[in-house]
Amino acid sequence: MHEAAIVAGLMKILERQAALHGVSRIGRVNLKVGRLKAVEPQALVACFEIFAEGGVAEGAELCVDHLPVRGRCGACGCDFEVKGYRFRCPRCGGGDVAVTGGEELYIESFEAAEAAEASEGG
Amino acid sequence: MCGTCGCGHDHEHDHHHEHRDPAIAVLEPLLGENDREAAHNRAHFDAHGVLAVNLMSSPGSGKTSLLEATIVALAAKGWRIAVVVGDLETENDAARIRSHGVPAVQITTGMACHLDAMMVHRALHDIDLAAIDLLFIENVGNLVCPASFDLGQHADVVLLSVTEGDDKPAKYPVMFRAADHVLVTKADLLPHIAEFRPERAARAIADLDAATPVSLVSAKSGEGLDGWLDWLAGLRAAHRTGKPA
Repeated sequence: MHEAAIVAGLMKILERQAALHGVSRIGRVNLKVGRLKAVEPQALVACFEIFAEGGVAEGAELCVDHLPVRGRCGACGCDFEVKGYRFRCPRCGGGDVAVTGGEELYIESFEAAEAAEASEGG
Repeated sequence: MCGTCGCGHDHEHDHHHEHRDPAIAVLEPLLGENDREAAHNRAHFDAHGVLAVNLMSSPGSGKTSLLEATIVALAAKGWRIAVVVGDLETENDAARIRSHGVPAVQITTGMACHLDAMMVHRALHDIDLAAIDLLFIENVGNLVCPASFDLGQHADVVLLSVTEGDDKPAKYPVMFRAADHVLVTKADLLPHIAEFRPERAARAIADLDAATPVSLVSAKSGEGLDGWLDWLAGLRAAHRTGKPA
């Protein structure tokens, strides 16, 4: 459960950022998580609910954008989505593949509770 | 909701009101604290000319046995080595390493399934980096979590024992993709395990990264160890020339 360690890092960022922006209650948190990070979105959400209790992010929604693995072939320059963790160029079959996506693990943004409610309401 | 501005009211768009993106951009890495500490560890290693190698595998794949055989062979060639060992509990592995006259620091992680850069940094306080050439970090036995945490190492080595099945790389792609070298261990047991085909394991690893070297080794018989030791020597030479003397 390394997701717990990752969420602990997230909580520190949120507490600091909320204070910085004068946000007393967070409504939504947006994360970018690449599929090469072996981080399970459902486990992140479960840990988040526990860690957020009693803090500025209690009750907030955690939105995880799970990003695909992408690569660029060193032989022919083809950009492609790496499916099934098979790092082979679909065009020329080359195995010299540089990873260009899928290693993301960061918080993109957060929304104050009032702002999140307003954008959901109607 | 107002379709034009999403402000939550039905209204004509002939009035003035403020619209801001409700999201506050942050763009901060979630493991930023770990990554900073890892960079700090790496700076320590580099300042002392120490090569740091992180060993990862599932529990029981033979990390400690491989280390014992490796440190004995390298010590005979004059290498000065220290080991940091991570386990949830016990000092057993560190005691095995120390029995060969090599300093070893045991990190007991309690419930943590991986080492992080802060734990390694604390362990470094008990190691004289000026007195060693090579630091092995034996990570907690686990094929998932340790891959997510940079420790400051220069290379990642992943072990796969022949008793585990040759489809492990396909099942744990992130870990095996992270490897700079895969060691297929317990090669001496291969005659008894027809199910394990080294070429099938090598193919699965090549699908993840065609450039990753794969070596079949046995800490018990010594088979394949020379290739592994040569690889370490090459790594050390490259590491030395990569920085000012």
